[in-house]
Amino acid sequence: MAIEDDKAIKAASDTIVEETELGYQVFNAPDEAVLHQTDTDRIPRYDVTQEMLDESGEDEESWLMFSKNYEAHRYTPCDTITKDNVGELELEYTMEIGANSSMEGSPVIVPGDPPVMYQTNGPSHVKAIDPREGDVLWSYTFPAPEDAVLCCDDNNRGVAVWKDKIYMTTLDSGVQALNRYTGEEEWYASTADHAEGYSATWAPIVWKGMLFTGSAGGEFGVRGFHCAYNAETGEELWRINNCPEEEYVGDSIEQSGGTNWMTATFDPERELLYYNVGNPSPDFNGTVRPGPNKNTCSTLCVDPHSGEVQWAHQESAHDIWDYDSASQRMIIRDLDIDHLDYSGDVVYNGGKTSWTYTMEPETGKLLVRGQPMTQQINMMTMVPHVEEERDYVMMPGLLGGNDWQPPTYCRETGLAYHKTLNTPHEIYWRNEEYRPGEKFWGGIVEVEPDEEVVPDDYNGHISAIVAVDPATGKVEWRDWIDSDRYLWGGTMSTASGLLFAGTQNGDMIAYDAANGERLWEYDLGDKAVSGDPVSWYDPGTEKQYVAIQVGGSGFVGRGPRGDQLAVFSLSA
Amino acid sequence: MPVFSYVTDAMVQSNVPQPTAERQRELASTLGVGGPTTGERLTVDRLREEIDADPDDSFVSMGEAIRNDLSGRLDADLLAAALPEIVAQVGRVPEVREAGIPGGKTGPEALYRGLVEPAWRVYHHLEDVGFFESVEANLPAFTPEHIAGTARELVRAEPLSTTLEECGFDERERMVLMMNVANNDTRLSRWTPTREIPEGVEFEVEYVPPLQQRAMGGALLWVQALDEHLWRKEILITDAILDDVRWDTKAMLGGLYLMALAAHDIAAGADGSLTDAQLTAALTAGTAVTIVNQEELMQDAFWITEEKRKPSEASGREEELPWQ
Repeated sequence: MAIEDDKAIKAASDTIVEETELGYQVFNAPDEAVLHQTDTDRIPRYDVTQEMLDESGEDEESWLMFSKNYEAHRYTPCDTITKDNVGELELEYTMEIGANSSMEGSPVIVPGDPPVMYQTNGPSHVKAIDPREGDVLWSYTFPAPEDAVLCCDDNNRGVAVWKDKIYMTTLDSGVQALNRYTGEEEWYASTADHAEGYSATWAPIVWKGMLFTGSAGGEFGVRGFHCAYNAETGEELWRINNCPEEEYVGDSIEQSGGTNWMTATFDPERELLYYNVGNPSPDFNGTVRPGPNKNTCSTLCVDPHSGEVQWAHQESAHDIWDYDSASQRMIIRDLDIDHLDYSGDVVYNGGKTSWTYTMEPETGKLLVRGQPMTQQINMMTMVPHVEEERDYVMMPGLLGGNDWQPPTYCRETGLAYHKTLNTPHEIYWRNEEYRPGEKFWGGIVEVEPDEEVVPDDYNGHISAIVAVDPATGKVEWRDWIDSDRYLWGGTMSTASGLLFAGTQNGDMIAYDAANGERLWEYDLGDKAVSGDPVSWYDPGTEKQYVAIQVGGSGFVGRGPRGDQLAVFSLSA
Repeated sequence: MPVFSYVTDAMVQSNVPQPTAERQRELASTLGVGGPTTGERLTVDRLREEIDADPDDSFVSMGEAIRNDLSGRLDADLLAAALPEIVAQVGRVPEVREAGIPGGKTGPEALYRGLVEPAWRVYHHLEDVGFFESVEANLPAFTPEHIAGTARELVRAEPLSTTLEECGFDERERMVLMMNVANNDTRLSRWTPTREIPEGVEFEVEYVPPLQQRAMGGALLWVQALDEHLWRKEILITDAILDDVRWDTKAMLGGLYLMALAAHDIAAGADGSLTDAQLTAALTAGTAVTIVNQEELMQDAFWITEEKRKPSEASGREEELPWQ
């Protein structure tokens, strides 16, 4: 069936996403949800159990959550594709998604005969796909309201799956549960009022019937939170504000920011939830929000049963550069840190600061702060007011370092792999004129500063893929990637020691994860590859597949929009 | 940019901030007096000899207005009890520096938090009675004129200087506090009184506390955060950072003391010891010192760049990286 005949895809395609003075807004979205069922009988009927989710990291036939396992490794144990045969990896097909929208997501793969892929993209659109054939089995478009304002694009980064349901966050700061066999609506929960600036774009996670989801809108003066829902009914179980009232002066807490706009990480052994917390509000004028602004720009560890905060590790106290700590955390088991005589689990992440952080999982004590992954120039100094005659170009810029791009941890190499930016940004702060709902920085941001003010030490490389040893913090290798666009999307690694990543130049690359040698490259065209690679083995076809979404994303340097899903394969 | 250099002379027991000659000249210029001659170090006494002894009328009227506005609202007993406790905490700063980084296996022991306990009690009381709103309503923004006037009044006001001395600030440290007020007009001017934040800015002004509350509350939060920060980031912390923490914390306690002293003077009514002009100066100087030194603490101890961190045993520093 041509995608033009799919009502839900057409509804998504007809939806226009425009950058307005308020940020990003969606126009011409359907007034009501649109579901189009094509061949729902092809979807095998069985529950995705908790046991399957627990074992997801060890299962080569599935990719059951945003980063494959609760520990967020983005690592497949499948080893059909190896360093020796990756040169034979071929494009199985490309598939037109039908929405010229942000393409930042990770598809989820439920194993079966056939497997079923659940693929999302902006604006709040999801499909069930037979990934063997590239056939759409059902598709669904959520009615995104026009008055929802988005800081950075209309992203949707994926779904959670549990039993007979999938769960997608929605641009109006909601969670929509759908029957995974039919696409029919099960329940909807609004986590906050989108009219106040809240939105939702990440993939939630589910553990033992509890769904965990966060908050976005840090550029709109909201107060960030995280909350848990009963995944069966949609009943809210608990909710916490990420920023504690007692750590703020007076009413400044009311617009604290500190949202949680990426997927949480879960430690099933300790039963602890770890997630990122974003920037304080307003972004650059710190004088109206004195103090360290806890727990903004932090890793937050909470009890999944109650939401009680266990600890917070702050990366940028009283942040004035938008160094929100965005990327998903990882849990790395049994790490030996020789210089500290430490052996045990750690929590690990890369920051917009361009540092990596290795933390003790029960206290949040910093064990290792890694070497800078990219350049740091004029870093962590006071931002000038517009009236000051001082140029201020900083690196990392306000998009990092490692922004939201989800990294992978490869068990074979013991290294983590980060997509990073190396872009100078010029900023000033001021009290800006405000219009309701408008995106605000509290200052001026020049993402392309004049050449004469760019620091002489800037090496001119806009981005890099960087391998880091979490035990030492050493940058083991780095592949600079030059372009006039920004590098978005995630990485993925395999049991055979391969690293997969797309680039903003339209390439899909397989590296030797040990040393950064490019072993295979595929030119997917002129669109940026901003999605996150996933992989699975299908015993029915006896092939290992690698899939990635192709198309731009973000509010800057994203390149032309695209709407492709590329699926590669190699026979066993 | 560091405001002060530090002497490392063995004669000096710890890293005492040293006003540079440039900063002394800047202060002298602000006060309208002669700068230091070669080898001379400015003192409060020397400055007092040179400036006009008569108080600024506007400072008198501002102080009077604040007294009238807050009359009968402040708890004199609470404030009287807190003042010596704050002084005692200033006296504890050296032992806290000696301890350095809080111990603790699963979390930090209370070390720095204790330094601000008495000041927190003052803060909460002042917040409850609307002190900050009143002070902000009656004081101007940090204009160069107001800052210069405050500096002159601090020099004139022997009671303030004596009090700070009794509080544990030696001559050099009192000069540094003075410079924190007098030499930072541009920096302080960025801290706008809430009522002067332009109409319709990008955030909700109703959620912005009064300027003096932001100054005092911010200082308290920064000191309170030190236990966890230093414990959690122990691998990054150097002795130089801890020395900076020592002075920045002590200076903030001095600023907090001035705020508490002023509040107590208002509460004491006729029994108060400060003139109206001195009251205005104490409030302004207390606000300025807490602002400047919380920003200093933030830069000295919380924004730990590669250059500033304790080198990692495993990975070394940035300059070892092949940037090209």
